[in-house]
Parts: sequence; C-alpha cells; structure tokens
Amino acid sequence: MRARSRRRPAVSELAALQQAFGAAIASVDKAAESAPIFRGPAETALERLAVYRGNVVGACTKALAGAYPIVAKIVGESFFEGLAREYLRRFPSASGDLNEFGGSLAQFVANFPHTQDLPYLPDVARMEWLVHRAYYAADAVEGSGLRLAPACALLASRWPLARIWEIHQDDYEGEFSVDFDAGPERILIYRPRFRVLVGAISEGGYRFLERLRAGAAPEAALDAALVAEPGFDSGAGLAAWLEAGVLIDAKETA
Amino acid sequence: MEPVGVGLRAAHYEDFLARKRDVGWLEVHSENYFGEGGFDLHVLRRLRADYPISTHGVGLALGSAAPESDGHVAKLKRLVEAIDPVLVSEHLCWGRARGRHFNDLLPLPYTEEALALVIARVSRLQETLGRRILIENVSSYLEFRASAIPEGEFIAELARRSGCGVLLDVNNLYVNQLNHGSDARAAMSAIAPESVAEIHLAGHFVAPHCVIDTHGDRVAEPVWALYQAALERFGAVPTLIEWDTDIPPLEVLLDEARHARALQAEACCV
Repeated sequence: MRARSRRRPAVSELAALQQAFGAAIASVDKAAESAPIFRGPAETALERLAVYRGNVVGACTKALAGAYPIVAKIVGESFFEGLAREYLRRFPSASGDLNEFGGSLAQFVANFPHTQDLPYLPDVARMEWLVHRAYYAADAVEGSGLRLAPACALLASRWPLARIWEIHQDDYEGEFSVDFDAGPERILIYRPRFRVLVGAISEGGYRFLERLRAGAAPEAALDAALVAEPGFDSGAGLAAWLEAGVLIDAKETA
Repeated sequence: MEPVGVGLRAAHYEDFLARKRDVGWLEVHSENYFGEGGFDLHVLRRLRADYPISTHGVGLALGSAAPESDGHVAKLKRLVEAIDPVLVSEHLCWGRARGRHFNDLLPLPYTEEALALVIARVSRLQETLGRRILIENVSSYLEFRASAIPEGEFIAELARRSGCGVLLDVNNLYVNQLNHGSDARAAMSAIAPESVAEIHLAGHFVAPHCVIDTHGDRVAEPVWALYQAALERFGAVPTLIEWDTDIPPLEVLLDEARHARALQAEACCV
C-alpha cells in the first residue's frame, strides 16, 4: 500500500472512545492508557474497568460452560475458567447473542498446550457444539417426502463419543467407565422433542442419513448405505428413526 | 396492561407451566429466543396464551460506532413477529468495536455525536420492526470526560426526536447516583412524563469501590423510595421485577411484585 497518498479517514470521537474503552476491557495492559478518558482519578477508573472486564469474562465463561457442560466436567471447574479466559482472548465473541459464542472451542482445545493429555477433548467439543446447535434448531414440521429433521447432526470420531456423552448426563446412574480403545465411532445427534440425545449408529445408518440430509432420494441413500455396510437393515432403521423424530415423512404424519 | 410483571427465566419455567400465577405480564431477554425452534420458544408460545409478553433485548448495542449487525435485527424481527409482544425494548448503550462484541451494556459518552447516532439507530429499528420501541437507561461504573449532556436530558432528547418510549430503570439511576454522585431525581425530572412506558426494578450489590448492578437481590429500600417518586411523576406505569443472578424461588419475585403493586395503588390514591 505504499502508493496510498490519501490520509486514513478520521475516526470519529465516539469510535475512538469506544475503541479505547474496549481495548481496556479486553486487556488489562491497555487499561492505564485508556483511564484518562474517564472522569475521576485514574486509580478509580482502573478499578472500575476491572469490574467491566470481570463482567465480560464472567458472562462469556457462563455461556461457554452452558454450551460445553461435558468439556467443563472433564477438565474441572477452575481449569475450565482459565481455559475460557484464554479462549475468549483468542476467539472473542462476535455476536450480541451469547448462544452463538464458543463455536471454535474444538479448534482451540486441539491446540491448547494444557489439554494435550486429553486427545479426545476436541471431538467431545465438536459433539457438544452440535448438541448446542440442535437444541435451538427448528422444530420438525411436516413437509414433502422423507427427510432428516432440522435438529439432527452426524459426527464421526475415533473416540467413543456416545459413551462419553452418556456417562456425563445428569440422570446417568451406571458405571462411570469408558473404553477409549473401542475403535472409530459414528454418532447421531437428534432431538425427539426438546431434549437433545446422542447415540452411536452403524456405518450404513450414518451414510444413509448423511445422503438424505444432502438431498438424495431415499433409494439413492439406501444404495449408498448398502455399499458402506452390506448388511444394513433399512427397515428397522427407518422405523426407529421415524419413531425418534430423526426422520420426517409427510406420508406418515399427514 | 396489568401493572406489575416479572422477568421470565428458565429456572421458573416449571412454575409458570404448572399453573397460572398472579402476575400481570412476563418479560424475556429477546436473545434467549433467537433459535428457530426448541424448548425455550415452545415455553414462550405456551405462556403467551396466559400472559402478555414483552421482549427485552440485551445484544443490539445500538450506540456502537461500529456498523450494525443486520442478522441480529433480523432475528429480533422474527421473534417479534412470532410472539407479537406488548412491549419491545433495548438499552441505551454500546457494545461492539473492531469486530468484537463485549456482551455487556457499556455506557455511552453523552455527546451530540452519540445522540445523533442513537436517534438514527432507534428510528431505523422502529421502521424495521414497524412499531415503537422503548429504550432503557443503563447502570454504569464509569463516566466519560467527553460527556456534555446530562443523562436525563440525553434520554429525553432521544425519546423526543426518535419517538421511542423510555424504559426507566429506577435501580440503574440509583446505582449511577452512588457511583458518580449524579442526581437520580433530577434525571427523572428531565424526562417527559408521557414518554415513560415501563419501569424496571432490581437489586444491586454494594462492593467496596463500586455499586454493581447484579440483578441478584431484592430491591433496596432507597430504590423503592425512588420508585415512589417515579410513580408520582410518571403515573402507574407498568413495572417489572428483574432477577438474573442467584435466582431465588419464584415466590420471592412475586412478593417483590406485590410490593410494587401496593406502592402503585398508594400513589394513585394520594
């Protein structure tokens, strides 16, 4: 941009004040520089900037813990607070709706030095973000033809995600153990009515639902499923998925 | 509209779904119902049959010098069209800069530039939604040196020039009075009586260096006194009890609502 001759457009006073305020909230290192834009002694301004900083970190941490309850349980509350603080620094909120905050946590924990001893954590985060999105997804309405309900998602992982999800549910009462060497797994995230559920599905089932979601005709989706899994039982799958609200069929509901 | 309502929070969904409660209306944070479907919207649609609903936005950050987020406005419009609330409100604040959203109700410098921006934003929002909106005064812990217009006058001028209504948060005026030495009653007297369409009441927390607007306690005595002064000036305006942190059993909120109703009855019979 060496050839640029015009000066940068002047930033308005309002924009400059907000950027200075914002910088002081985002980073304590910028607070002293911004303090003079506020009335009163600098010491008071610094204390009160810290209140705003605390509010922002607190709200974002709460939102992140709400979207990722299993990640929070796995790493523990105080570790999660530190993780959330660092996540917020790297991936600040961009939306006025905090339910949209946190979509990059899987990417973040994959690279976070302090969670490298939990190699399954990125996939758990991926699953939880899909669960979070499914919770707010559109309700299933009757339409034309066989299709996947809006609140459904599919995920493949080398980790036993369905089991990890199961043992971290509040109403789970069984044994708290996971076989991490169980091999690759495919999961279906679905919402029979309003509570989001996670279950393991077969390779054929995964392929069938994936193709259907991509807009394939049921026959073509079934072909793809049988290629992936020659023994795929489409009759049993269809009945169960219609029952659980994974699939919507106009002919069934009309 | 019934005189006193309470903020609807997920912790009280079951209480409200179980049976009809003695409360005039319910207010929700708009953003919590921005989903296309799901449980929260389902509950809101159900309760809408039993109570008037108002939607209270916390994320538009109307006074941000940074450009507006059209997606956020579109979701608000979808919600307003689906629920047809009795009142739609947002805050007099900013919250976005350089692509980042702070998700907090940050105070504005009260300058002519900020006033012009907020008037333009509020006017456009009212056009988009096809209805009048209310704008709420926020609590603050800092004041800009650049502020040249007293808070009450800034709000009054915004209402006069945009046609919006005022959602007067009496607790916020009181918090600002303690934090900045401003005069809450003077701020109220600057605002035209007919422009105030709703009042908010909530609890605050007195920290060592600052009074914090936590919405986590009962309404403080001095705030009730200020509310009585507000009722004298503005009449029996619909009043909402807000509670957002350490949410207690619903009965506590309903008890606060009863007290507000008693003060309203007193004020109208003086």
